Amino acid sequence: MSKSRGYAGQILEVNLSNRDSKRNELATKFCREYLGGIGFNAKLISDEVPAGIDALSPENILVFGVGTMVGSIFPTASRTEVSAKSPLTGLFGTSNSGMFFGTQLKNAGFDALVIKGRAEKPVYLFIEDGELSVQDASRLWGKDSWETLDILRKQYPAAEVALIGPAGENLVRFACIENGYYDAWARTGLGAVMGSKNLKAIVVRGTQGITPHSVEGLLKVTGKARQLIESSPFFKPFKSYGSMNAAMPYGSFKALNANNFSQGCLPDWKEDFARPKVEELTHGHIACQSCIIACAHWVEIKAGKYQGLRMKDMEVTPTVSFGSGCGMSLEATVKAAEMGQRYGMDMASVAGVMAMAIELFNRGIISQEDVGYDLSFGDDDAILRLMDDIARRQGLGAVLAEGTMRAAQQFAGGEASAMHVKGLEIPMIDPRGRWSTWSLGILTNIRGGDHLRCRNPIENLRFNENKHDFQKERFGYDRKMYESLDMPDELKAQAIDLENDTVDIAIMSRWAEDLINLFNSVGVCIRPPVEHRIGPTILAEAYTAFTGIKISPIELMQSAERAWNLIKLFNLREGELPEDSKFPRRFYEEAVGGKNLDEAKVQEVLQQYYQVRGWDMLTGQPGEEKLRELGLSNLS
Amino acid sequence: MNKHLIIDSVKCTGCGLCELACAINKTGQCQPYLARIKIWREETRGIFVPMTCQHCDNPPCASACLMNVITKDPATGLTIRRLEGCIGCRACQLACPFEGCSYDYLQEVIVNCDHCGGNPECVKYCPTGALRYISTAEALDLERSAEAARRCGIAGLVKGDRR
Repeated sequence: MSKSRGYAGQILEVNLSNRDSKRNELATKFCREYLGGIGFNAKLISDEVPAGIDALSPENILVFGVGTMVGSIFPTASRTEVSAKSPLTGLFGTSNSGMFFGTQLKNAGFDALVIKGRAEKPVYLFIEDGELSVQDASRLWGKDSWETLDILRKQYPAAEVALIGPAGENLVRFACIENGYYDAWARTGLGAVMGSKNLKAIVVRGTQGITPHSVEGLLKVTGKARQLIESSPFFKPFKSYGSMNAAMPYGSFKALNANNFSQGCLPDWKEDFARPKVEELTHGHIACQSCIIACAHWVEIKAGKYQGLRMKDMEVTPTVSFGSGCGMSLEATVKAAEMGQRYGMDMASVAGVMAMAIELFNRGIISQEDVGYDLSFGDDDAILRLMDDIARRQGLGAVLAEGTMRAAQQFAGGEASAMHVKGLEIPMIDPRGRWSTWSLGILTNIRGGDHLRCRNPIENLRFNENKHDFQKERFGYDRKMYESLDMPDELKAQAIDLENDTVDIAIMSRWAEDLINLFNSVGVCIRPPVEHRIGPTILAEAYTAFTGIKISPIELMQSAERAWNLIKLFNLREGELPEDSKFPRRFYEEAVGGKNLDEAKVQEVLQQYYQVRGWDMLTGQPGEEKLRELGLSNLS
Repeated sequence: MNKHLIIDSVKCTGCGLCELACAINKTGQCQPYLARIKIWREETRGIFVPMTCQHCDNPPCASACLMNVITKDPATGLTIRRLEGCIGCRACQLACPFEGCSYDYLQEVIVNCDHCGGNPECVKYCPTGALRYISTAEALDLERSAEAARRCGIAGLVKGDRR
């Protein structure tokens, strides 16, 4: 039985090379400073990964950090962060996923799981109530992730499984770690790290229970949080339709990744991916642990070529990446998602690299001989075939499996078609069509070109204006919305100008990043209704009620900022250069919908952002004062 | 029995809040295994079914009990257990067709739902209305309208039904 409150109290460390395992007690100071989830991961990885190693070598370590509030009854607390040095970007690789894995790991007695070394032959881990065993996985190696799950779920009923598919085994650089059948820790190629360790799966089952510090306090704050989330104007749309909500407005802004960022929006996007069409295929709603929104859909294809396909899908990122980025049909995106899940590949990245390949094919840089068949946007069969080749590293697939950045270097002039920032493929949104806090976040994200670590909590999708030289976006709400935002008053007044109805992008970016980093530390979901209403004040109350550790909202934000700065320092140590924080040339030089980015002005906003962060304006190096403030000064 | 815990599995999203609410309320611990209500998850079919004690009129668990600790409460109609007599043999668990009772490893006895004395916690936390605590009259009404809808071929269009 766990003695500590809220936390399970231990970190499990496994070295696969010699099958040693250690249990490290959590110190209260460590908990306060890094909270959990991505905070733990950031600290453990920057302390223990030697500088400059190959991400696929045994020296790399893979950390599963469970969010602090996971397993409590706090709404949407289900998230677990997985991190390692990324084989795709060479920087800090990290990804977040929900469902029930974190709850099980915590109930098994561990707040984090650290995996080191490399097993001699394929193995899987079985963790149950404080006990660990390393089991032979030869019979599972080579099987796709759904087949593997069928076997493991039968053998270990009621257990949660994190595993890799064939793509992870074949060290595809954007392979993901599957979280059960339909979810994944997808971005930045963590599945390849797991594959390089010869680790097929992690099976977790826990019955130990977590004792909250104050049951009464926890239930009270849970009720309050639930009321807040349910009263957000974003709640109802998300509950009824899920994340696909953003797809249509971004389509009308011409701000979607269409055919490898060449169009802004496909001509028939609005009809082919309209809500009635999506709803025809979907029914029911599926939730992660403790979620009151349940944004995921159950998809069933009843007719046509892909008849019989049944899975959880229609999340916006894969649907837009395949449907708009590669021009596939709605039904085919479900097939592509199925293949992505079975092979264990990050769908945003695989769609990105395939879209590049198609464009290179159209430009005549890749020929039919190289691929073995013709490629074109919207050719479902060819795209699915190419996806298969990538997962198996066959033919051209072997080159593309290295990711957009590396693959582009193999072709003369390939760079021009490579849509990535710092090696990570940009999914979904095109900053040219809509410049906002969200788009700047793609540039400043510590894991590369990705949209999930910075989103304005009060983003207003009714407006799309760029009147203020890329520095401001439209606020567009009333005073009530302003007041309902949980943000320190002084900062709020700086970030939001009610008189001119604008939001300062640099200031809001920094706040949004720290807020999302806080969510990823305590394990709460970042869906808009939650991000809009849940802030540091209520999280501090929840954290204290659950763990018994007294913490103020400001300290909580500081802990999140500490992890963000630590990751930035890690990235700089691993060779990130100031000029890497740039969009692909296309965004500055070619217009979509009559708009392109002004490089000098974007750079100016970036410098403002660095300033707000307390970083060097030109290099993005965290300044000494900031590091002293965060207690990181010995690291610079 | 004049109030019933009605389960509409079609509305269940599998979030597990009922399990957690039950466990915290009954044991002070965040541990779904200790809950008296459990969600049967058919993940690969997208089906979630909350399962709890159905308070059968003629409960098989009572027949199976070696210690005769399971009885029907004449006042409330609930199936109740005299826990001090329970030896934790789990015979009742095997006999139950609904997986309606669970093993409480803290007390080492088998426990079942007691409707929280008339104010079930699981119902309060259910975000979709998959769990409802309603009177016999309301329950019958629900049955009637569902049957009527089926006969008219409009099943799934009844108010509050997201089928």
